[in-house]
Amino acid sequence: MVVNSSDRVEPAPGGRELETQEFVVNMGPQHPSTHGVCRLILTMDGEVLKKVVPDIGFLHRSIEKIAENRTYHQFMVYTDRIDYVSSMNANHAWCVAVEKLAGIEVPERAEYLRVIMAELNRIASHLVFLASFSIDLGAVTPFLYAFRERERIVDLFEMTCGQRLTYNYMRIGGVSRDVPKDFVSETKKFCSYLYPRVDEYEAILTENPIFLGRTKGIGILDLPTAINYSVSGPPLRGSGLKWDIRKDEPYSAYDVFDFDIPTGENGDTWDRYKVRIEEMRQSARIIEQALEGLPEGEIKAKVPARFRPPKGEVFARIEAPRGEMAYFIVSDGSTKPYRVKIRTASFCNLQALPVMAKDLKIADLVAIFGSLDIILPEVDR
Amino acid sequence: MRAARQVWSGVYNLILGLLTVFKHLGHKAITLQYPDERMPMFERSRGVVVLLSDPETGKLNCTACMACARICPVYAIDLERSEEPDPETKKRYPVKFEIDNTTCAFCGLCEEACNFDAIKLTGKYEFSVYDQKTLLYDRDFLQELGRDVPYEKRKKPVPKAKAAPKADPTSPKPEEPGSPKPEAKPEESPKESPGEDKPEA
Amino acid sequence: MFELEGIFNAVGNFLASFLGSPLLQIVSIIAVAGVVIGFLMVLALFLVWWERKLSADFQVRIGPMRTGPHGVLQTIADALKLLQKEDIVPLTADKKVFFWAPVVCFVTCFLAYICIPFGKGLIARDLNIGILYIVAITTFTVISLLMAGWASNNKYSLLGGMRSAAQIVSYEVPLSLSLLGTVMLAQSLSMVTIVQGQGGSFLHWYIWRQPLGFLLYVTAATAEVNRTPFDIPEAEQELVAGYNIEYSGMKFAMFFLAEFINMFTVCAIAATLFLGGWNPPFEFLSFIPSWVWFLGKSLFLVFILMWFRWTFPRLRVDHLMAFAWKFLLPLAFLNIIVTGFLIYLFE
Repeated sequence: MVVNSSDRVEPAPGGRELETQEFVVNMGPQHPSTHGVCRLILTMDGEVLKKVVPDIGFLHRSIEKIAENRTYHQFMVYTDRIDYVSSMNANHAWCVAVEKLAGIEVPERAEYLRVIMAELNRIASHLVFLASFSIDLGAVTPFLYAFRERERIVDLFEMTCGQRLTYNYMRIGGVSRDVPKDFVSETKKFCSYLYPRVDEYEAILTENPIFLGRTKGIGILDLPTAINYSVSGPPLRGSGLKWDIRKDEPYSAYDVFDFDIPTGENGDTWDRYKVRIEEMRQSARIIEQALEGLPEGEIKAKVPARFRPPKGEVFARIEAPRGEMAYFIVSDGSTKPYRVKIRTASFCNLQALPVMAKDLKIADLVAIFGSLDIILPEVDR
Repeated sequence: MRAARQVWSGVYNLILGLLTVFKHLGHKAITLQYPDERMPMFERSRGVVVLLSDPETGKLNCTACMACARICPVYAIDLERSEEPDPETKKRYPVKFEIDNTTCAFCGLCEEACNFDAIKLTGKYEFSVYDQKTLLYDRDFLQELGRDVPYEKRKKPVPKAKAAPKADPTSPKPEEPGSPKPEAKPEESPKESPGEDKPEA
Repeated sequence: MFELEGIFNAVGNFLASFLGSPLLQIVSIIAVAGVVIGFLMVLALFLVWWERKLSADFQVRIGPMRTGPHGVLQTIADALKLLQKEDIVPLTADKKVFFWAPVVCFVTCFLAYICIPFGKGLIARDLNIGILYIVAITTFTVISLLMAGWASNNKYSLLGGMRSAAQIVSYEVPLSLSLLGTVMLAQSLSMVTIVQGQGGSFLHWYIWRQPLGFLLYVTAATAEVNRTPFDIPEAEQELVAGYNIEYSGMKFAMFFLAEFINMFTVCAIAATLFLGGWNPPFEFLSFIPSWVWFLGKSLFLVFILMWFRWTFPRLRVDHLMAFAWKFLLPLAFLNIIVTGFLIYLFE
């Protein structure tokens, strides 16, 4: 932008700096732009942030403890609710982990269906990101446009499994139901409908000078800091590292498909936004390829109801829309796990917020928080 | 010169954004006027849980085998089996069948677990009440809710391995044309007897 | 037949026939004020409804539908609701200032309409310093914002009030400078003279001779009325919630309505100075009454302002101030210099 607002006035020679005092402000649990109940304790010097301390735990539901009292099949319902915006991916993570523990072979059709559902949910989740990010910055209209697209995806899901938010679609060994007759044609129609819509969002936001002024150069996360804080997903890719578990440690059927991993250059808010926009396009590509090659066959391997995996432990991770979601399961050979530890992306990405927001203004904090795409249930579990 | 190009690009992109939003004027709305227009639910929509009855006899299909109560992850189902089988249908029946709708997560695991087409999730989502206690649905209310719900008798009842073959009212019906592929259903082991593995409260 | 000038003259003559001179003055002042205020209240109702419907249309939804056909009575329903709300005054607030802040805001937004020509012969008072008076009066809003921010005794509303006062004062400068071009062209500050200078066809409108002035004016005017992209004072997403955070009920409604009336004021000024006021674009269209043209042009500009609101994200506070002082102001000076030079060349 032509104007440069960060010109600082030096005190006259022999003069003193203006003395200011820092004060503590609470950006409370209820706030329109912390997506969920997150409390941020800000130490400010005038308009400038000196310290940001997230205070979390408002949404803690002790899911990990509950897991010790539920069978592996029953726990699928709880995984939906860890990240309800991308619930298919959360289901997928649990399935991958348990199947790795017990050595279950999943039929090919089920793998393809899982990939289709997971990628559709990735698009839906990035649409929610787009909606809330733009409304945080003041542009209200892309919110409605993104939700218009999301309604179509959610209709596809409802056609298949009956729910619009917490799907409970995948089962250990496969998926629960086969897709209805119209699903393939409707999804193909949706994918071709999506590409011009993404171009539309880009026309409204990406090169808009006001948007650029609010996001370019704001909240820079350089790569060494990102790796030190275990940041994953689009924030990590926005900082320049081309790391995606779907390509680097492929699970399910991802090694079959051809897609790119978008990365950013500077690690600022604009890069994180752009990475997610590009990922939407790549996900549509994956879905089209999967629909073309959808094989016939069984949709679920034979897994007994009183499923007892062998004694042992497993750590398995997948690429959820927000980053890396991983499960560490310790099994003692019974129908219920002994210990489940859920590693979620938002929890680790939130740690990087104080570093990114240092010496910026509150308006920038809102933009950065939105660009990290934090979902509080993931943070608190 | 660079400044002028920046200004020009800024103005151009602002106008592009304006035109993109302007295009939507006059288009049909994507919203429904809710109480007057309702969205038609899909066939597989998961809403309120109901108990299904046999269309001929009007009696519940449920034999109180406890499969749904065992699988329910939130323990919303409270079930009690009768001591003696019903003289007409020759099956046991549930003396008490309560679903706590405040706890039910509408996950559909009970419908998958049931072997007798006895329990189903319908597409009904409007069940708000003023008194929370009325959300504890009992057996007769659930049966009434499920009275007009159409269902396909797709599931074969699991034959008891060691008992003599009884006349089973829910005889297996052939596959209906056009229905989705038969799912591999090895989930329930044949010996599901009550008393084992009561759901821990 | 619809020319209101004739109706008003007839009523005035009728009253003059039986009222003495000082009483006539008083009655006519009250009558004109009543008409203008009545018109503006109806207009504010209409604008609030239109904003909701227009925003809904941009966002592919419908907007209010249930109160009255297509929701036309929605604003009245909202006003009735706000009337019934409890009037909360904070315990430690400065009560007198707290009370008078919305009054000042509401009253000053009407005062500008003394000089706005609604049509041919339909101006409350054609002051010979017309446009200067309007610019001066609209600055009073700053005082009411500062009063509201101060009296709430709340550090966030004080910050919000100071910030919006700074914003309005900063954008006053390019606003008034951008109007100077048209004043130079019309050679008068009087609103009626300015409109008359644009008579003829639409090619005589000052927008063609002052394109930069028009763009500057529209930008500065959007900031003056606190609309996106300059609506930091009203943004809920920022931490500081703004000067009207402590106001509830009717007082809040006054701030809200004053904002919409201000929006119409700046659009009316732009319509008068740049788009030819009550002149029709072609001579043969003059059978359509002049006030219809005026209203049409003003509402078109209101549409543009609403369009801006629903498309653009918000500017950050320091960007906002930098934009006014470092970008708009030099351009406004440039505009004046070039206009003066070209007037000298061609006249």
